[in-house]
Amino acid sequence: MAVALVAGVSRFACVLVAHFAAAAVERCEPALREQPLAVLSARVDSPNVGREGAPTANKKIAPTIKKIVDANAAARERHVRPGMTETEAAARCPTLVTRPLIDDHAAAARHALLEAVLAVSPRIEDGGAGIVYVDTAGLERLIGEPAAIGRRLVHQARTVGLVARVGLAGSRTAARVAAASASVPVTVIPPGRERATLAGVPLGVLDLDPELTATLARWGVRTLGELAALPREGVTMRLGPAGLRAHDQALGRDHEPFRPWTPPPFWEEAQGLEWEIDSLEVLTVVLETVLTRLGGRLGAAALAADVLDIRLGLASGGHHARVVSLAYPMSEVKPMLALVALDLEGHPPPAPVTRVAVSAHPIRAQMGQGGLWQPPVPAIRDLVSVLARLAALVGVDSLGSPALLDSHRPDAFAMLAFSPPIESDAPARGDATEPRLALRRMRPARRVDVAMAGERPTRVDAQHVVACAGPWRASGEWWDTEAWARDEWDVALGDGALCRLARDCLTGHWYLDGLYD
Amino acid sequence: MTAARGEITEIVGRPSSGRTSLLVACLFDVVRSGETAALVDTEEAFDPTSAAQAGVDLRRLLWVRCGARRDVALRAVDMLIRCPGFALVALDLGERVVRLPATLAFRLKFAVRRTDVALLIVGRRRLTGSSATLAIETRRQAIEWAGPGPAPTRLARVRTTTQVLRARQPQPAQWPSRWWRA
Repeated sequence: MAVALVAGVSRFACVLVAHFAAAAVERCEPALREQPLAVLSARVDSPNVGREGAPTANKKIAPTIKKIVDANAAARERHVRPGMTETEAAARCPTLVTRPLIDDHAAAARHALLEAVLAVSPRIEDGGAGIVYVDTAGLERLIGEPAAIGRRLVHQARTVGLVARVGLAGSRTAARVAAASASVPVTVIPPGRERATLAGVPLGVLDLDPELTATLARWGVRTLGELAALPREGVTMRLGPAGLRAHDQALGRDHEPFRPWTPPPFWEEAQGLEWEIDSLEVLTVVLETVLTRLGGRLGAAALAADVLDIRLGLASGGHHARVVSLAYPMSEVKPMLALVALDLEGHPPPAPVTRVAVSAHPIRAQMGQGGLWQPPVPAIRDLVSVLARLAALVGVDSLGSPALLDSHRPDAFAMLAFSPPIESDAPARGDATEPRLALRRMRPARRVDVAMAGERPTRVDAQHVVACAGPWRASGEWWDTEAWARDEWDVALGDGALCRLARDCLTGHWYLDGLYD
Repeated sequence: MTAARGEITEIVGRPSSGRTSLLVACLFDVVRSGETAALVDTEEAFDPTSAAQAGVDLRRLLWVRCGARRDVALRAVDMLIRCPGFALVALDLGERVVRLPATLAFRLKFAVRRTDVALLIVGRRRLTGSSATLAIETRRQAIEWAGPGPAPTRLARVRTTTQVLRARQPQPAQWPSRWWRA
């Protein structure tokens, strides 16, 4: 990575992504980076007039004109400029690829850049689309010389899919001008050298008002150095506040205080679609794109998503919203995509989808490491994925760890989410000296006909009773509407089965609870 | 008894012959060492109370209830044995006699070898043929009743024995009988 000038310590850095609207589109479709790309404005109706200036008779036949809003470097090399019509741009560059301007793309890219830079310094300022100012005070002790800080910022921007240039200087204005006018990724202006370094930069980088630019051009002022050399009082008298501001910028002075930016509470990535999606397979591909961007942002900030909010815009005009709670905080795309796809498979959108938005609830993920003497357990990433697939196969209620309830009611248990304990202490142990006989439950308990001799059963359905033991009387919740009372018998039948019978004392019916096996 | 890692073990037998008790004993052996196990329960016959009394730490057990759908149970097993980290995946097929295509049996065999999971299949008849490393049949030998008077009031113990039907490694033809406390 080339560095233009390295010396001293600067206080501010400016991260600049040139041609930001085009860069935002390239971030969504990385394959377009090498091609000439132009971003088109929304459809604008041409003036509704006829040849002689009279209104046209039929408004429906009025043609529409799309204009270029932004173009990437490859397109600009072929003389494609903002403001051109699509036809004019296509005539200059036949291989030009065009995409419509989608506000969601630009907004998501802007937030992504801010969050990526926030991972380097806690004090940043949103300078507009594609511009982030960074207070670098103190970073030299963490990262190193200013050039290293610049390289770190360029790397952070790249992690979220944006190619940035960085300027470092004593003021934000000087840093921005350095980044905008440089041809290398990182430019460092030594302290006190702002005016001299910026002297040869053309006035165009300041993005001044067109009238002011024209006035200065008439005066023969074409560079920042020439503007800075003008007497300040005279500029103020003739050009007013706008001229004074331009003069300050030419001197590399900041006109406004630093306004720190804090990240929004929810992180969102969205994708507008030019076509309608009516199949889950295609929707999964779009979701993967969105989740990849979201996961990159989370990873760049060392965060993980706890909950995903899926919001699908529908062709019918409505929305389909789903909340996917992740089993553990994650930023990996693959398990997130599997969970979202499985959720949407169970709850598909009612109409074709025209827009996809995913927002994440970020939390700080704590890294963990298994103990050296702990036995291996399924990796959380694998476990979450297989649990989601099993839930789709058998249902959420049929999956989990059983937990016994504090009740004497037979077969009283609840299903909890499977989450094996990770503590190193030994698990609870039962009486391992003598193995216990297991019962195979009948769910629901099968009703049977029982013949009695005295107080003991002698026949169960068609099978005679060889031996039996009981009764074991139990009852509970007699104070409530769910009262139950039963007599249990252990019975050996003629066919070899050893079963547990229960007589419901409230109804007098007999049930086969299960088989000892 | 401990099911071998990376192999298929089958337990077959008549109802009340001790198959499920042997299955629960295998689960206990796995979870007491801190490992995790999964039980795919075709007929939803698993009794958590019995397992807890046998000492099984239910927090380390993933119970998959399949609602008497055999195809669902086989698919669930296929997913679980491909997830590394489970020490034991048990498939309880219940009382229905089912047949398994030989190709599926070989798939299961190679999958458990790759992930080093012990696959334990419990059913009425043998299922996986030559893919199983060990196949045993349980038989009930005796029932012991207890009670203060001449008429027993509780089931005390059940004794079962185990016969080896197939073993890749040398095994005694019949294992010692075992008492199970009710």
